[in-house]
Amino acid sequence: MREIELYFGPQHLGMVGNFSITLNVEGDRILKAAANPGFLHRGFEKLMEQRTWIQNFPLVCRINVVEPDPMELMYAMGVEKLANIKIPERAKYIRSIYLELARIASHLFGLWAYSNMLGFDTVAQWAMYHRDLVLDLFEELTGGRVYHIYIWPGGVRRDFPEGFKDKIVKTLHTIGGCVPDYDNTFFNNRTFYKRSKNIGIVTRKEAEEMGGVGQVMRATGMKYDIRKIEPYAAYDKVDWEIPTRKDGDAFSRIWIVRDEMIESVHMIFKLLDKMPEGEVFNKMPNPFKWNIPKGEAYVRCESSRGELGLYMVSNGKDKPYRVHFRTPSYSHGLTILEKALVNESVADVGNIMISLYVTAPEIDR
Amino acid sequence: MNKSLKEKLLSSFSDIQIDITEDNRVVINTKKDDVISILTFLKNIGYKHLALISCIDWIEKKEFELVYILSAYMDNDTEYKEKEKTNILVKTKISREKSEFITVINVFTNAEPYERELHELFGIYFEGHPRLTPLFLELKYKTPPFRKNFDIRKYVTDVFDNIPFVEDRKEKEK
Repeated sequence: MREIELYFGPQHLGMVGNFSITLNVEGDRILKAAANPGFLHRGFEKLMEQRTWIQNFPLVCRINVVEPDPMELMYAMGVEKLANIKIPERAKYIRSIYLELARIASHLFGLWAYSNMLGFDTVAQWAMYHRDLVLDLFEELTGGRVYHIYIWPGGVRRDFPEGFKDKIVKTLHTIGGCVPDYDNTFFNNRTFYKRSKNIGIVTRKEAEEMGGVGQVMRATGMKYDIRKIEPYAAYDKVDWEIPTRKDGDAFSRIWIVRDEMIESVHMIFKLLDKMPEGEVFNKMPNPFKWNIPKGEAYVRCESSRGELGLYMVSNGKDKPYRVHFRTPSYSHGLTILEKALVNESVADVGNIMISLYVTAPEIDR
Repeated sequence: MNKSLKEKLLSSFSDIQIDITEDNRVVINTKKDDVISILTFLKNIGYKHLALISCIDWIEKKEFELVYILSAYMDNDTEYKEKEKTNILVKTKISREKSEFITVINVFTNAEPYERELHELFGIYFEGHPRLTPLFLELKYKTPPFRKNFDIRKYVTDVFDNIPFVEDRKEKEK
C-alpha cells in the first residue's frame, strides 16, 4: 500500500485545541507521527520580563485556558519563595479548596472533550453543564468565570463570602448525585470499553523514559503525585487517596480522571470541616515599588494534567529576569504522543491525544 | 539523604560546586564538559525524571546559563521517601558568542523538545540533535527572540507601524 502524509489538525473534529500532528500513514495504520505545536505561541515568558512582578498575574493565568488556577499558584509560590513570604493558615485551606474546585472543573472539561470525541453527546453536555456550576462558584468568589487572578503572594485576594461554604457543598452534591448517571451511560458502557481498552498503551518503562507525570504515571500503578510527595497549601492536613490503575491504556487514564474527581470532592468536604478562622492574606509592600531579592527558585505543584513547575530567576529588580514554566503537556504532547501514535489507527488519534490530556496552550505558552 | 548525595558527587567529580537549600533543592555548578557525565551519574542513582531544561541569558557577563532540572520517580509504588522531594538543578555556563552545546538526548529522551525550543528561542546549537527544526515560530529572526538584546518595542514598531491604515490603502488603490 502507498504511504501518504496526512495533516491532522488544527482544524479537525477529533482535535481539541489548536494543535496539529503530521502523520505518515499506510492505509489506516500510522507509521510515523510528528507533533506540530505553535499555533498559540504568545511569548508570555518574554512578555513577563517586561512587566513588574504584580502585573504578571493577569498574564500567568492565561497560559493554560482550561485550568488557569495552578498557574497562578505557581507564580505566587515562586515569588513567595524568592521574597521569603509566609501565608496565613486559612489562606492555605482556601487555596487547596479553590485548586480542587479547579481540578474538578478541568476534569469535567476533559470528560467533555473525551466523550464528545467518542460520540457520547449526552455525557458531554452533562459534563459541560456541571463545569458551568463550578464556574458559577468561581464567579461568586472571584468575579471572573474562567480567569480568576485570585491567588496572590501572601495569601488569597479575599475571604469566602457569606454562605459560600453551603453553596460549595450544595453544588458538589448536585454533581456527585449524577455520578451513577455518568457511570451507567459512559464509564460502564461497552462502547467506551471497546474504544479505549488497549489503545494508546504507555508502559511504566516508556513513561519513566519519556518524562510521564500525572495520569500517565498513575495509570501504570505508581502513586506519583506532587500533592503527596511535596505537599503545598493544605494537602498534608487531611487524609486522601490517590487513585491508580495498572494497564496504562486510555481506558485506565480516563477512569483515573473520574476517580480523581470523586476524591477531590471528598477532600473539599474534609478541608471545609477543618478550615480555621483568621486572616486570608499578609500585608504586602507597595506593588509598584516592589523589588524581589536576587535569587532563583524552582517550585512545582500537581495540576490536573500532572507535575507543573516554574523556574524563576530574579536579579533584584522590580521585574523578573527569567520565568520558565515546566508544563505537563510538554513531554506528554511532544514526546509520548509521537511514540504512542505509532501503529495505531487514524481513528484513534484524537482518542489517544485527549486521553493523554494534552492541551495546546500549555505547550506553546 | 542529600548530604550523602553531595559526598558521592564530590568523590566522583572534581571541580564542581554543590549547594543544598532548605527546601530540598540541590544546585550543582559545573564545567560544560562534565554535564553529560554528571547527568548520566545522577540518572543511574535514580534521578530519572528530566523535568525541564532552561536557559538564562546573562547579557552583561556575555554568558548563557543552561539549567537541567531533575527529580526522581518512586522506587516503590506507594511509599514516599525523601529522594522524590529533591530537585537537582545542574547548571553550566556557555559562551554567548559561540553558543554551542552537546545534546543530552542519549541520556534523557524527553530532552528533545526542550533543546529544540532553546535552539529556536535562544539560538543555541545542540550538537548531535536529530531535528533542530522550528517548534513554535513561523518567521525567522535575525536575533533569536528570547535573547535579552532582542528589542520588543523596536520589533513591534517595525512590523506593525508599517501597516497602512485601511483608508490610506483604499485611497492609494484609487
